[in-house]
Amino acid sequence: MTAPTKPAKAERLNKVFPVDLDKYLPEPVKRNYGRWVDRRFHGYGIIEHVSETGERVFTVKVALPPNARLSADTAEKFADIADKHGIGAIRITMAGNIEFLAGSLEAAQRIREEVEGMGFPVGGWGPTLWGINSCTAFLTCTTAVVDSPSITKALGDQLYEYFTGEKTLPAKLRIYVSGCPAMCAGGTGIDIAIVGQWGAPPKIREEILPMCLPPPKALARIPESQVFLVQVCPTGALTLRREGDKIRLLLVPEKCINCARCKENCDAFDYDPENVGVAILVGGKYSNTGVGRRLARVLVPWVPAVPPHYREITAIVRRIIDVWREHAREGERLADMIDRIGWGTFVDLVGVPVSSMHYDRPFAGTRWKDEAYPSLRDALR
Amino acid sequence: MGERDPVDVGMEILRYYEEGPWPSHVKELKKTRYPMEAYAMGMAQRKTAWAAGSAKIRYVYTGFISRRTRDGKITELHFRVWQPSGQIYTTDFLRKILDFADKYGLGLIEIAGQQGQMIISVRNEVADEAVDALRAIGTDIGATGDTIRELATCVGPALCEFALYDTLAARDYYLTHPKIYEWMSNQLFPFKFKMKFSGCPFDCTRASHRSDFGLVGIWEGAPEVDHEALNEKIGKGEVDPRELAGSCPSGAITWDEKERRLNIDGAKCKKSMECIRKAFPAIKPGRNRKIAVLVGGKVKGRFGPMMAKPLAIVNTYEEAADFVVKTVEAWMEGNTPHKDRIADFIFRTGFTKYLEMLNVRPQGKPANHPRLVAGAVLDDEERRLYGDWARKIVEQYGL
Repeated sequence: MTAPTKPAKAERLNKVFPVDLDKYLPEPVKRNYGRWVDRRFHGYGIIEHVSETGERVFTVKVALPPNARLSADTAEKFADIADKHGIGAIRITMAGNIEFLAGSLEAAQRIREEVEGMGFPVGGWGPTLWGINSCTAFLTCTTAVVDSPSITKALGDQLYEYFTGEKTLPAKLRIYVSGCPAMCAGGTGIDIAIVGQWGAPPKIREEILPMCLPPPKALARIPESQVFLVQVCPTGALTLRREGDKIRLLLVPEKCINCARCKENCDAFDYDPENVGVAILVGGKYSNTGVGRRLARVLVPWVPAVPPHYREITAIVRRIIDVWREHAREGERLADMIDRIGWGTFVDLVGVPVSSMHYDRPFAGTRWKDEAYPSLRDALR
Repeated sequence: MGERDPVDVGMEILRYYEEGPWPSHVKELKKTRYPMEAYAMGMAQRKTAWAAGSAKIRYVYTGFISRRTRDGKITELHFRVWQPSGQIYTTDFLRKILDFADKYGLGLIEIAGQQGQMIISVRNEVADEAVDALRAIGTDIGATGDTIRELATCVGPALCEFALYDTLAARDYYLTHPKIYEWMSNQLFPFKFKMKFSGCPFDCTRASHRSDFGLVGIWEGAPEVDHEALNEKIGKGEVDPRELAGSCPSGAITWDEKERRLNIDGAKCKKSMECIRKAFPAIKPGRNRKIAVLVGGKVKGRFGPMMAKPLAIVNTYEEAADFVVKTVEAWMEGNTPHKDRIADFIFRTGFTKYLEMLNVRPQGKPANHPRLVAGAVLDDEERRLYGDWARKIVEQYGL
């Protein structure tokens, strides 16, 4: 490694971007850039890309630990494998998997064997589980209410066979696990999204709160709408209350929708671990196939998240997958199936108890905020 | 029985995650110098142990996050580091990054491709030097906070058959765009800004939901059908033409049994990629390739998660730069409250007003949900448009 020098100020502001594709792409990819014409699948973990020049590149897809955390040690071993059997390159996927590039099917198989020997499963293409994305949660995050990497690990253990293809699914399945409603694992536009929830409006830790507010003298002078925490709340649940010469920040629980925006910006918002759980949303997707791109809907508004096994969560996810496997046509993603059979039928099939949360639609904004029924047609069973 | 130390309780819980067939993050973390006590404490108390910390790096204002535990005993600092476009690493480059992680950090990396950035834990006391070391390798500290946050691409033409435009070059273009470069050095936005580049409507980068500006490759008209190759595939039993027609969500496909031809109605085609996916390469995306510019996707933000809306169809990715610059400037300089994303800004402004601001006319097919209210405000030009059309019909009927 070249020794760094100490640059001057002006120089220090200059950024260096890894933009020279010539430098960063491996040779076989550079030679066939934009010239790929065909592809073939070899099992669930290897894709063959065929170029118009006749050259082939094989990609081996490997699952990474939750939150894509890797020690330099393991990554070094991966680099060795890529050098020994592959074309000396790896690719990081959006879904937190890693792909090894190889020049022949035999080499790809050898990579598969070596990686599986290290305890990393190969698979995740075709009608399988494509991967589980997880946010950082208790590893570094200040906002998270549940630990998503450990939920991911517990889920991964349960759904392992669906990743390797020992058991197949009707179509592709991807799962996002986020530690709080800020949803850093990737939002809800996915087949199954698991999102950490307070379960009850947050409590304010009075001793920390002054750190997030202007100094008392300034607070007395500026209008309420200019106070950052009041500004951040989308529903107006946070307001200032003047009691004599004292000014307090008040949280109106009836207005709170547990969106995590206040907690994201200030550490003073606390919760009771007993109330904490996760919401499970289903039927979102990004791809334009089938019914097209859409966001997932809340199927289960709250279930407890109890480490280390998270049995409640894994059981419900398995239930959803079983319903999907039983009722879907071939190649039909969860969103497409729900669209075909209807949301009400799907809720019945999973057997979720229906509560007020199945009618309340914050921010949907199409008609009223709360609805007894979406429409008369939906009301008639 | 006395109270047990929460760290011990947490460690016991964490040991569970070292077993099982799925790759274990705890096993990986234990190979590094990551402070396991903090994680264990969080698991035991079922609350994250981390709170916001602080760090200072000379003349670098974004790209690193500092944390400390609530009791202040442990601190943690990590860098977001730009990845090469397409997230393809040669082992040479990867080894340099790993050496960096070992020398300046905890020997721990987070290689999620979602952000177009890699996360590397760094030791606080060498953070300043670490920036220079990163630049010597050929990459740089990325972005955190209220600024340009991520520019991510799918694998695009580097390794994919479906790429309809050069997503990697597009990302490089925007990463080095002078305006974006200017915005990137400081945190001047109301909230974060993200851009994503997807080569085709499969949208592998999730540009339609997770980016303020998403560029998605599309084509105009029907997909291209190679009838000979398709018939060969049908003969082999790989493709069932009736199933192709049935699974098309736009209902654009008909199968002519006599002629053995698959007809696709380009006007109806919704570019769902269903037929292409099943019969590639006999059915390929059409030749007339364009880029759809989507605006206002977000996960976080005032009004909750939103899907992006199509803004315009352009021919090259450079054309979208004008939209990006104008939108960001309006968003930045208007009275936008803190922590409002571009989608929130457009939601408040109104999409029609926003289009006027960009000087973009609505394009494409008429909306699927026509107006229900008769009252309308038209400008002179629009009134003339309808008047001229009516007079033409009057002439046709000889009235």
